[in-house]
Amino acid sequence: MKAATNAGRLVRQVLSGEVWPALADRHAFRVGPDGQPFLLPGMGGVTLGVHCADPATGYASDHLEPGASIRHRDPAANMALQFLTCVGNQVRVAGGPAAGALGHVIGQHAYVLVDFPETAAADLAAGDPVTVVARGQGLALADHPAITVKNCDPDLLARMPGGTRPDGRLEVHVAARVPAEAIGAGAGMLSEYANTDLMGAYQGLGEDLSLGLEGLRIGDIVALDDADHRYGRGYRPGYLTIGVISTGQCMLFGHGPGPSTLLSGPSEAFWLVDDPDANLASWLHPKPEPVPVVPSQRRSA
Amino acid sequence: MTGPALRLVAVNLLGLVEHPALDGSPYRVDRDGRSYVPAGDGGIVLGLELGDPVFGLVADHAAPGACLVHPDPAARRALASYACIGNQVRVRTGQAAGARGVVLGKRGEEGRVIVGLAQADLARLRPADEVAVCARGQGLRPEGLRPDVTVMNLDPDLLALLPVAPGGGADAAVTVGVRLTAASRLAGNGIGRPAVSWDLDLQLPAPGEDGAGGPATGDLVLGDLVAVDDIDARYNMGYRRGWVTVGVVVHGASPLPGHGPGITPILTGPASALRPVPDAGGHVGLTAAMVQLQ
Repeated sequence: MKAATNAGRLVRQVLSGEVWPALADRHAFRVGPDGQPFLLPGMGGVTLGVHCADPATGYASDHLEPGASIRHRDPAANMALQFLTCVGNQVRVAGGPAAGALGHVIGQHAYVLVDFPETAAADLAAGDPVTVVARGQGLALADHPAITVKNCDPDLLARMPGGTRPDGRLEVHVAARVPAEAIGAGAGMLSEYANTDLMGAYQGLGEDLSLGLEGLRIGDIVALDDADHRYGRGYRPGYLTIGVISTGQCMLFGHGPGPSTLLSGPSEAFWLVDDPDANLASWLHPKPEPVPVVPSQRRSA
Repeated sequence: MTGPALRLVAVNLLGLVEHPALDGSPYRVDRDGRSYVPAGDGGIVLGLELGDPVFGLVADHAAPGACLVHPDPAARRALASYACIGNQVRVRTGQAAGARGVVLGKRGEEGRVIVGLAQADLARLRPADEVAVCARGQGLRPEGLRPDVTVMNLDPDLLALLPVAPGGGADAAVTVGVRLTAASRLAGNGIGRPAVSWDLDLQLPAPGEDGAGGPATGDLVLGDLVAVDDIDARYNMGYRRGWVTVGVVVHGASPLPGHGPGITPILTGPASALRPVPDAGGHVGLTAAMVQLQ
């Protein structure tokens, strides 16, 4: 049965942000695992053509952030936006050519990451304002007191398969399991901010770098072994963290596709079911996405 | 490596003694969800020296001496990137002007250089005092050390004093005495960051905590050398199967999840070329006598 929650007692708060430009510095190049210099797009701005259920890796990209990357100009307001926004929250474009378009939050990465239909994303640009209806922080599972929930819209939790089992455990469907060795940049940071980069998913690079995670997809629900994210992000044997892959391909060493945290607690409080359909696309995209169209192609059509 | 070895240059850098800084709340949250006030995180810490245990202090990331920073972010990154363990420092202003000390390590995020001074000099030091760092060591490629072992963050004069044996012959592994070897899954904050300017925190269990089969860590002291399996630190620090990274323990434990005693990397290479030799009871790493702080 579905896990009982306190969703009825959560508040909705209206937040604002804007599409943030991609950033670079004058030295341009960063350094890959073997010392190779690279200059690759993917972080900030609006990244087109990659949505939930698409492969997370295999792109000529670094820190790929699918869809729109959102911040607030005021530093303190930005932290509120980053901390209070939850995966599954609805986002509406509040100005510009794409005004009125609806998207949803797929994670955090020092930006709020919002997946829009491709046609809407094609009309978005840096500076466009968005409105976020934030709800989810404070969500708790009445029958699973050892499990901490965070960054999770109650409606997303309600749509995810699984729930309270007869033996009292929380059943969660996951598309992949991640060993503790994969935890990269983001360790030691707050689990309501940014995400945990996973190493071992450098498609096309050395076998000695691989931890078998090249098959991850954007939006996949994953289980992180020996990870305790209740009060930050740390290694703790016997704990488990459930996250959603919100960012993709990285070339920067020690980085990689990253899960935003949703659930964390002792391993024995969970019952995992391996399920390739455990992806945000199964629950937040009720209709198939239109065929991706990039602006230049659309103009020439 | 082909051609003649390139000569190192020394650069005088300016660091300012850091004042600890807190956000609006005095509290941080530890790995068990308890709030605490983070004493000892940056600035000047008195009474803590090389050879002191990393656990047991009611402190967060406490380092043995004074942390140096620079108000300009880019200058601060340069300070943290170019300074090397063993570099000489001299206090330029304030009551401790003229006092000499040594770089003992570095810390990440915005960048900090940890300098050791005699306790009497530390006691006269004040936040914002100027300290000159004679930075030398990045780019070091010691003769006789096989080229697939990378040396970093180390003053050239210090290498010979540490328990590092070149091995002799092109095929022999470099051996290095360490207190313990940690598995890469214990690597926390610092992963994915540049090894020349960040430390790597190790999520080691404190004495009495469940180590889940990991090494006993209760004997770990500041200045110890520690190896981490499957971490490549040539550029950014990250997972690479079959590699080893060795670093110097530069600060104490932290209550924060994902944090712990931190190492400044000094050696990294394939496990076939770099062989740590753990000695839990008898290991001697970087000592105050070695850098003439006594």
